Parts: sequence; structure tokens; C-alpha cells
Amino acid sequence: MAPPEITRRGFLKAGSAALGALTTSQFAFPPAAQAARTHHLDADGDGYIPTMCEMCVWRCGVLAKVEDGKVIKLEGNPDHPHSRGKLCARGQSGLMNTYDPDRVLFPLIRAGKRGEGLFRQASWDEALDVVARNMLKIKEKYGPEAMIFSSTHNLSQVQFENLLNGYGSPNYGTQRSLCFNAMVTAFSLTYGVEEPSRNYQDVQYILLTGRNMMEAISTSETGEMVDAISRGAKLVYLDPRYTKTAAKSAEWIPIRPGTDAAFLLAMIHVIVTEQLADCEFVKRYVVGCDDLPKAMENYTPTWAESITGIPAETIDRIAREYAAAGKNALAHPGWRTSNFINSFQTERAIATLNALSGNVLTPGGCLAAESPEASGVHLGKPPQPAYPRVSALRLDGVPWKYPLVPLKLGVFQELRDAILTGQPYQAHGWFISRQNPVLSLPDRQRTLQAMGKLDFIVVVDILLNDSAWFADVVLPEASYLERYDPLAVVDGKIFIRQPVIEPQGEGRSALWIYKQLGERLVLGDFFQYQDEEDYIRQQLAPLDLKLEELKLKGFLIPQIDTENPAEPVFNTPSGKIEVYSETLGDAGFSPWPTWEEPPYPKPGEFYLLTGKVAQHTQMGTQNNPLLHKYEDEPRLWIHSDPAWKRGIRTDDMVRVSSPVGEVKVKALVTEGIRPDCVYLTPGYGHLSKGLRTAYGLGASDSDLHVTYTDPISGGQALSQTFVSIKR
Amino acid sequence: MKNRYGFVIDVSRCIDCRACLVACSVENNVPMIHTRIWVKDSGVKGQFPGLQRTFVPYNCMHCDHPPCVEVCVSGATYKDPNTGLVLVDPEACIGCGFCVEACPYDARYLDEARGVVDKCNACLQRVEVGQQPACVATCVGGSRLFGDLNDPASEVSMALKNARSIQRLDYEANGHDTNPNIYYINGDVLESGFLPRDPRYNIAEEGWKKVLVPAIFAGIGASFLVQATYFTKQLVEGEKEFDE
Repeated sequence: MAPPEITRRGFLKAGSAALGALTTSQFAFPPAAQAARTHHLDADGDGYIPTMCEMCVWRCGVLAKVEDGKVIKLEGNPDHPHSRGKLCARGQSGLMNTYDPDRVLFPLIRAGKRGEGLFRQASWDEALDVVARNMLKIKEKYGPEAMIFSSTHNLSQVQFENLLNGYGSPNYGTQRSLCFNAMVTAFSLTYGVEEPSRNYQDVQYILLTGRNMMEAISTSETGEMVDAISRGAKLVYLDPRYTKTAAKSAEWIPIRPGTDAAFLLAMIHVIVTEQLADCEFVKRYVVGCDDLPKAMENYTPTWAESITGIPAETIDRIAREYAAAGKNALAHPGWRTSNFINSFQTERAIATLNALSGNVLTPGGCLAAESPEASGVHLGKPPQPAYPRVSALRLDGVPWKYPLVPLKLGVFQELRDAILTGQPYQAHGWFISRQNPVLSLPDRQRTLQAMGKLDFIVVVDILLNDSAWFADVVLPEASYLERYDPLAVVDGKIFIRQPVIEPQGEGRSALWIYKQLGERLVLGDFFQYQDEEDYIRQQLAPLDLKLEELKLKGFLIPQIDTENPAEPVFNTPSGKIEVYSETLGDAGFSPWPTWEEPPYPKPGEFYLLTGKVAQHTQMGTQNNPLLHKYEDEPRLWIHSDPAWKRGIRTDDMVRVSSPVGEVKVKALVTEGIRPDCVYLTPGYGHLSKGLRTAYGLGASDSDLHVTYTDPISGGQALSQTFVSIKR
Repeated sequence: MKNRYGFVIDVSRCIDCRACLVACSVENNVPMIHTRIWVKDSGVKGQFPGLQRTFVPYNCMHCDHPPCVEVCVSGATYKDPNTGLVLVDPEACIGCGFCVEACPYDARYLDEARGVVDKCNACLQRVEVGQQPACVATCVGGSRLFGDLNDPASEVSMALKNARSIQRLDYEANGHDTNPNIYYINGDVLESGFLPRDPRYNIAEEGWKKVLVPAIFAGIGASFLVQATYFTKQLVEGEKEFDE
């Protein structure tokens, strides 16, 4: 079947049909949940409704069990490629995200000083009017660029971006520079793809650095890796900490933080000087292969031993084992990879190792040179006018200060600093949606100071998170079990998130909130949908698919012709894999993967490591009572030798100080960490007393992190802060 | 026995993510201060950098000779002949808690709010409609398996057939082995430090019932008397207060 023709007329027809079918009242969308239920539920109102998880960004398919209008259990949807019938601890706890006794159920307007936590309940009309009035005032007085917008990876982000682009601000903060800038920038420059997908089907050898897969869980991928290990694949894992992934690895390499690139460059050195690579593949598809041995000349295993602390023979052996596995070897790209300012080079070395193994694009190869999102399915969207022209510089320094950072990644920490310095101009307002920069950005004191300089702060969330605690207006969102979001496409299937219960209190979907604000900001043309269902119908229109069917099944498979390109072409300037990158050279950086010496701690200081636990997502889930029930107490890991020297025993309170702050936290004395490192369980140390379960637990590394930005990728170096520990 | 339901746990696959624990709590409305199932952790063993760590999923072993059934005075705890599962009838349970003390696996708890003992029932409510127990259905690493051990074609039987190693946490009580129905494969759980403990009772199997059952009924009677006295006293005193 040929792809359905997308005509303006068909588009409008679908749109108006949708309009006719709906009784549209601005405040009366909840019956949507009722409608969803009538399809799935029996006469008693019980049954399963398919939807999508939002406890992290992996978006597993969910079957929500509903009884008497309440969600009583969540199951993984077997038809969804990300869940395959399973949900992780966070996914299983999702109903307590909705039923959290600390939910914000009504719009709130600040009644005391900022940070006092005094709010009064307001109507939606009043709260939206206050937000719109303040945003219009800032635009009129200082220009739209004085308003900062920030949000973290979510399905409604597209309409959030519509709001900020329609408003005309270039200042957009996302989590990306605190997370994966190094990986995305390096793979974009080398392969022309942001994040290549992994194929575990035939994997025999996995080199894993920068991804604690057994605790930073993506349900399907974690499961696939366990399957691979169970099948006999060898997992070699580089991490200064003995994580649960280390416990499952064949070989744990407790590498010195910040020196992964040296280890990997020495592997490349061995492979190219001994000619162990897949020569045919490399010659055809890789730019720079002829000169690579010369470029890697000095990166011998002996050289790497002096930097990493890993014996030269171990590096040499692993390089040979990796090369011997050929296309069945995988050097995993990692995820939250911005650890040091040289992390971009670590990622470039990982990209190079994959290129040398010939695992890209070969049948049975372990790395696909396309994004997981790439599927050839093109959804429709509501019509809208062109965005206003933006002439102001971006406060985050992209691209005028950071020329190679992709525009959509940005440098969030720089944006925060620009609020403080007022350079190149002063920001006055901040619109935060589903994000908690008070805990996610490094150097919390600076973030709080920056917030103190602003005239107006509005937060959209389901809880009074730490940023909402300091806001002027808090708009209560409906939880992911109570609302629609724009559709998601995974592996050629279109999935829906739909309300399975009515919203608690006056929670509203982001699609509704942004549209209401858009209309009040005279940006109604950017929100041409009647309600959430109409928005989704417009998304489905070009594919000739029906919302009712999608709601019933939870997913649809559109008929599209996929062309298999005869010859792989990489989306880089040369069309090949650019181990040698002229783009980098032209910008004044090394065109080769290269060693950049990271800073080292002074004697008596420790690397402060951050990481993940399997029971929580960043700093957003600690208030969930079910996850709290099964979490480990957040503590500071310290190796037994330095602990003994300082007289520290497990559960002693210790003081951790960095150049920017100090926290007190309980110690966990363990053999499972390098003696020169400490690790602070992430996501705790909440300031908001509106989080009654989480408040008072643990400490926040954002109190300690010094702001260091990688000049190439813009990533915040999250493990480059050194601390001293006292009892 | 028609079916002999049991668990096979692939120790090599458990990553201690605790999805099973949350799933169980939600499915069975387990109170926040209790849990029906566990993932036990050997802790980091060895000296840096030669380390090892084992995670052991754990719940009621649904023993063939369950010590909990033997001590149950009300007959609430029983070995179900149709499924082979060890179950508790909440209507019959008097909440005395002897079974909690008698279980060498610490797999039971007293639900104070309901006044009854509770434990893993292998999500019988799910199994009856063709679903897997909640912990098994959601196990991210594929470590927990459940099925009919009598059926040679079941997933659990196949897993046992293909296992590299098989262990059980046997315990000898009252002269015979508990014969637990959790089989641990592909990992050493005997070294993990979670061996069954001795029951907290030292009364012989038959003897103690003779002593305790009357004692309990006497106890219940006595508490009734005390309460009745107290009630009457309060009534009288309450009236006094009122008079003043």
C-alpha cells in the first residue's frame, strides 16, 4: 500500500469530523476517561485499559487494571516493544504517582515569601490569567527573550516548544546537557545519528562504560542484556563503583574516573596497529582509517596503564577479545555520559571502536546507525503559523560560545548562570514544566540565587517539587494515568497514552494547559485543536487511522512503504563514518578522537560520583510511598580504607564539602568503590516540605556539584567535583 | 495432588531491581510496613577489586512439609491439595502468630490491622485466571519463574531440566525435611548467608498442642473477663463523672 496522501483537504475534513463528534467545553474534558473505559470495561466498570508509562522516559506500554473508577494494578503491555509484558519497580509503583497524598490538586498562587511554602488555592481562570499577565508584561517590557522556558523529555514537549517558540523566546533549558550531550554530540559528528540503537540478538562481547544497565533500567534493554549474559555473552564493565551491573559482569574494571578515554584509545591503538579490525568494512565506510594508526601511535596500553591504573596487559587482552568478536561486539554508547569535560572524547572513542568492529549496518551487527525513534512513520499535527523571528542571542551560549553543541541540546547550566550575571542580557521570568532544576542543575545555591533574581516563576507539575516550592504560581497537571498526551511511535507502531481514570482534583493535561495559556497570550493560532482527542485525531489523519481503534488496542501499525537503501549512507558531511572529523578540525578542536587530561583530586580529596538506583528516576520519584518502601536508605559510599583512617563507620553522619557547598549524610562503608572515590545516592536532599515522604531523606549532590562545562558538547561534568570527607 | 505449583529462580538473572516487590505489594494490598516477598542481598563480598555479590529472590517456599501448618491451632493455615500451595484462610485465622515464629524462612507476617497472618499465596487470584503471579509476570531479568512442577512440559520443569545447578533451602524440622518448592538454579544460594533459621519453638510436634490449645482458649477467656470487668468499671466510673 502506498503511503496515504496528505492533503490539506483531507486534513481539514478529519479535523472537522472530529469537531462534530465532540461536545467541546473547555473545562469538561474528563469524560474522555469515561469514554476510554466504556470500550474496555465490563458492566461493573472493571477491566484493563492500555496506555503508556511515564515513570521514566523509556515509555513502556501499560495495561491499567481499573476497578470502580480506580487504578488498582499496572501490568506491562506484551505488545509494546519497550515493556514486553514487564514493568520495572518504578512502573509498577506508577499508581502511587497518581494517588500520592501530596499531589497538587488545585492551581496555587504564592501567598508568602518565595521559599516559605505558603500558597493559596486559586481557580484555573485566575491562575492562568496571572501567568499570562506576567508573561505579557515581561514580553512588553524586556522582550520575549527575557522569559526562560525549561522542560524535561516528555510527550507533550512538542506543544511546550510551540508555546515558547510562538512566544518568541530563544531560551530553552532541557535536561540534555546534564545528561547525554557528550554521547549525542559525538555520535552525531561521527555517524550522523544522535543515539544509535543496540541489537543484542547476536551479541557476544559487550563493552559497557557510562551505563549502569542493571540499575539505570530500560525494561526491554536491561532484560535483553541479562538474556545476552545468560546466553554466554561476555560483559566487560568499566566503572569506579561496584554497581549491580558490576555484580553481573564477567569482568569489572574499576577504572579511575575521567580516564575511560585513555583505556578506549589504547584499545583502538592495539586494534589498528595489529590490524585486527574488519578491514573491508572500515575501508569502505570509515573516513580516516588510513591515518588512524598514526593518530593513535602514542596511545599504547603502557601509556594508558599510567593514566587509568589498569594493567597494560588487561587493556591489550580486552582489545583483542573485542576485535575477535567482530560484528558481534558492542561498545555501548552509554546514556548519562557527561561526567568529565573530556567525556566527549570518551564517546568519540566508543564510536570509533564500534566502527572498527564492523558492527554497524552489517546483518547481525550489534549497532544500528539509526535512532530508536527512526521508523518512517510521519504523524500529522495541527496547522499553525510560522514562528516569530528571534534575533536575541541565546543565553546558554549556543552557538556563539559553544559552536558545536546541537541547537536542541543547549547548555542548561550556562543558561542558569546567565540569569545571575545578567549577560548578555537580563532574564526576568521562568516557565518550568515537569522539571526540577533546583535539584538537577549543579550548584544549588547558584540556582536559588538565580531564581531570586527573577520577577516571575511558574511551574507545571503534579507535585510541589523543589522548584515549585520557590514558584509564584503552580499549575497542577493531570498525572499520566489521568490524561492524554501526543502519540509516540516505537518500532513502527503508534502508541497512545490515554486517561484510565478521571483526574484527581482539578489536574489538567499539559495539552490543555498550554492551549489555555496560548490563547491568553494571543498565540491561539499555535494551538489549533479543540481538546486532546482532537489533537490526536489530527496526528492520525494523514495515516487514515481511527482514534477509537487506537484507544481500544493501545497501539496501531500504520501501513507504510519502507525503502531499504541499497548502500548505507551516514548523515555526515562525507556520508561516511567520520572517525576523522573535519567539522571538529574546522572549529579548532582535534579532528581525531584524542586524549584530554582531566583534573585530578588533591591528596585527601575524593572524586564525587553520581549514578542511578533502580527504584527511582532522577529526583522525581522519591516521594512515591511504594518506591520509598523498597528503596535503600540514601547514603554516601566510601571505601573501607579511607573510612578506617577517618574513623568512619557505616551509618555515621559525615560532612561532605566541595568548593561550592557542604552536606551531612550517613556513610556506607564498603569494598565496592575505589578508595579515591565517594558516591552519593542521587535524587535526595529535597527542599520542598510539600514532599512529605521524601523531605528530610539523604542529601543532594546538587549542593556539591561545581559547574564545569565541556566546551565541545556543552555537557555538565557531573563527576568532576572533588570533595573532602569529615566525620 | 492435581498440581504442584512451585517457583524456579534463576539466581544468575536477578538484578535486585525490586520490580517484583512493588508488584506484589500492589497486587495483594500488602501494608506499607510489611512485605510478602524479598530480594535478599549477600552484600559485597571479598576485597577490592575481587568482589562478588549475589541477589536471592525469596518468598514462601510452599513446602511439602510446612512447619507453619503443623503449629496452626485454628486450622487456618493449610496445604492446598489442588495446587500444592500453602495458604491461609483469613476467616479461620485467629492471629496468634505461632506460624510466623515457626516458619524457618520468615515468610509470614502478622497483619495487625486485620488481625490475621498473611503471606505469599503465589497470587492464586491471578493463577486461577491464567495469569502469572505478579512478581513473576514483571520480573525484568527473567529470574522468577512459576508453574506446575508435576507437568514435565511446564516452564519451571524445563528450566530445571536445563539448569547448570539446582539448589534448595531445605530445613529439617520435626524429623523431616520441609521439602521447599522454590528451586534456585544457576547460582549458589547456600553461600549467600540466607539459610533457614531454627523455629522459635522448641515444643515437640504433638506435645505442645495439648499444652497450648487449652492455654490459648484459657487466655482468650481470661481476656474476655478482664475486658468485661473493665467495661463495667468504665460504665460505673463514667456515670460517676457525669454525676459530678
